[in-house]
Amino acid sequence: MVNVWGEYDREMSEEQKLLKESLLSWAEKNLNAERVIKMNQQGYPFPGDVIKGLADLGIIMGVVPPEHGGAGLSWRDQALIADIIGYIDPSIATAAGLMAVETGWGFTIDRYASEEVREKYVKPAIEGKKIIGIASTEPQGGSDVAGIRSTGRKEGDEWILNGEKTFISGVYECKEMGGGYWVIARTEKADKPHKELTSFFVPIDSEGLEITEAYRDAGRGSLSTAGFVMHDVRVHESYILGERGKGFYQTMEGFDNARLLIGASACGVTRRVLEEAGKYVSEREIFGHKLAQYEGISFEFADFYANLEMLKCTYQHVADMQDIRYKEEGMPVRTGRAKTYKPQEIAKWIAILKWKAPHLAKDAADRAMHWLGAAGYTDEYILETAWRGVMSYCVGAEGGENIQKIVIARESLGDVAKPY
Amino acid sequence: MLQNPIEHLSVEQKNSKIIVCIKQVPDTQEIKIDPETGTLIREGVPSILNPFDEYALNLAIEIRDRFRNNSEVVALSMGPSQAAEALRKCLAIGADSAILLSDRAFAGADTYATSYTLAKAIKKLGPASLILCGYEALDGNTAQVGPETARLLGLPAICYVERVEALDGGEITCKRESEEGYELLKSPVPALITCMTTSSFEPKLPGVREIMAARRKKLEVWSLEDLGGSKDEYGLRGSLTRVTKTYTPDIKRKGVRFEGKEGVKELISALRGII
Ligand SMILES: Cc1cc2nc3c(=O)[nH]c(=O)nc-3n(C[C@H](O)[C@H](O)[C@H](O)COP(=O)(O)OP(=O)(O)OC[C@H]3O[C@@H](n4cnc5c(N)ncnc54)[C@H](O)[C@@H]3O)c2cc1C
Ligand SMILES: Cc1cc2nc3c(=O)[nH]c(=O)nc-3n(C[C@H](O)[C@H](O)[C@H](O)COP(=O)(O)OP(=O)(O)OC[C@H]3O[C@@H](n4cnc5c(N)ncnc54)[C@H](O)[C@@H]3O)c2cc1C
Repeated sequence: MVNVWGEYDREMSEEQKLLKESLLSWAEKNLNAERVIKMNQQGYPFPGDVIKGLADLGIIMGVVPPEHGGAGLSWRDQALIADIIGYIDPSIATAAGLMAVETGWGFTIDRYASEEVREKYVKPAIEGKKIIGIASTEPQGGSDVAGIRSTGRKEGDEWILNGEKTFISGVYECKEMGGGYWVIARTEKADKPHKELTSFFVPIDSEGLEITEAYRDAGRGSLSTAGFVMHDVRVHESYILGERGKGFYQTMEGFDNARLLIGASACGVTRRVLEEAGKYVSEREIFGHKLAQYEGISFEFADFYANLEMLKCTYQHVADMQDIRYKEEGMPVRTGRAKTYKPQEIAKWIAILKWKAPHLAKDAADRAMHWLGAAGYTDEYILETAWRGVMSYCVGAEGGENIQKIVIARESLGDVAKPY
Repeated sequence: MLQNPIEHLSVEQKNSKIIVCIKQVPDTQEIKIDPETGTLIREGVPSILNPFDEYALNLAIEIRDRFRNNSEVVALSMGPSQAAEALRKCLAIGADSAILLSDRAFAGADTYATSYTLAKAIKKLGPASLILCGYEALDGNTAQVGPETARLLGLPAICYVERVEALDGGEITCKRESEEGYELLKSPVPALITCMTTSSFEPKLPGVREIMAARRKKLEVWSLEDLGGSKDEYGLRGSLTRVTKTYTPDIKRKGVRFEGKEGVKELISALRGII
């Protein structure tokens, strides 16, 4: 008997247990391994029935307060959901599209959006009828957010946006279902580049917005990665998210929220990989013994499992920090400042999680494929799907590993470690 | 002979509640029994809501929503405090309120004592139009509690119901499958029905909102004091049966091969022996 959930059930509240049960029963019917593998191979767009099913269960943007159409879940609840989602779909497409992007960024959009944007885009996205996301990365590089080149110019009560965004998750799904993106652009002249940015909500069907061809990614095939060019795209003033000139800081907040959920989802991927491979090595006999009886394999397994348990504690810790932060800052709209934890301190912990968790999942999938031999290299097992999918969060999505290390070094070694 | 007179437990005609009896059962077909006490070992075995009871609950909710919107679905269970989990799930699925019958005095009940306790609680709950049970519990498997409870309440019972076709004019029409085909059965209400899951049944999966809403619904715990009467009426003491010995039989499966002409004769006589 392989047990990758440990004693997690015992820690869960009655409600969390019920939710886990519902999610896993739903997945058994609607998103089993076979379908995940097939979806990954078939490519985008991500199927609407999965979006709708998960929205009906109320897990997309569950952290959005009830006043704004969400379920008012804690970050601790949402992180658990993200973990389960990673376990259900280790291709990470569901986690990428609906957890990190919609939930992490959607929550942040909701927090800073006008009533109009909330009604027209956030609420329908919670109901699974539209898609919202983040468009920060540009062709010259995604890591240096302060160096963004897209521009915004004010004309009357409108803003005119120009520039190009690339490697954007869910563009084709968004085009198909309707929705839009959090877009950062240079709007101000200030002493520091960080203070020159403003965030906007840009509907995907805006005039002058031209969608670019999707990439053929190594993994998470069922979710599109594409981009768009903005030629004099006009948005009303009410489409500014938060305050003028504060775009950089709000974007960092959005990244934190998304990174927490992707970290938790990556734990779910590791869980699934270890479960699947664990069952295999417990049965397969080579040289007269089960593979699991050889320390060459069981010790590696133990290593991954130990790291998984540690990262689970980490994401729970980070989620609790987030819950305190948002309680102190005020919900549903920001009214005050966080007191218990500095935002940089939370960012450090989130960076630790975002760096370590996807790598653990990717390495676990890699080693698990070795344990299975040739079988692990085929689509008979979910391991290669997981391996290719979770790699996206190692190379760059929601910030590459070195960017996480920069944050951690800055908070531990000090400002001397800043490259900027 | 019934130990306790029960005539006073009949349910009033006025229709206002649909009561669903649910049991939390171990999530395994393999039941481990404590050889000392002859009772179930529950430790370490995850628990679930008895699937037939889940079906009964879904039926009750459907009846509430389809036939009489003002009726209230009450989930009722006798069990240890842990059984509250199963009731919480019922609330998340859509029950309006829940009652857990939990008391040391209720422990060790046989099907009679279980039915008696349930019947007492149903009586206390007040006017009900319908009482639904699963047809059997996955662990006990006796399929006795439903009909026994009906008997104790002086109610008609329809067993193995798959669908409720109609509920009007003080009459319920139920559909069940028999060896010959389908049967439609009518009964005056209040009545008790035991339910059998259909193959097309898709259980309602409670989402985040339903689960959060369930937290605000009423889940009461009733003890012996709430039901009244003496300890002797309940649990092991109120039971009519005693488990004197439990054991797992040794199963020795033996393949027999019949060969040739002689084999056919041998086979025929062997089969005769069985029949
Ligand atoms: C599948 C996928 C989906 C994505 N979805 C989105 C999306 O929805 N929205 C969005 O805005 N972006 C998205 N991205 C883009 C992602 O945010 C970027 O990949 C990331 O920010 C890194 O930017 P870059 O790829 O341009 O790499 P660069 O910024 O060009 O960096 C290249 C490499 O150098 C490293 N590096 C950078 N600076 C330093 C330094 N100072 N020291 C050492 N190393 C350094 C980086 O970590 C990276 O490994 C997605 C990416 C992928 C792979
Ligand atoms: C190992 C073992 C030995 C047993 N030995 C005996 C015995 O010797 N004599 C005897 O009479 N019984 C015996 N029982 C039955 C035991 O007492 C039952 O657990 C209990 O009385 C309910 O019966 P059941 O599980 O067979 O339910 P069933 O009659 O199969 O259940 C039918 C329906 O009744 C309802 N129901 C049943 N129990 C409850 C409950 N606690 N709360 C609410 N609704 C409920 C549910 O709707 C259920 O679907 C034994 C059980 C086990 C597991």
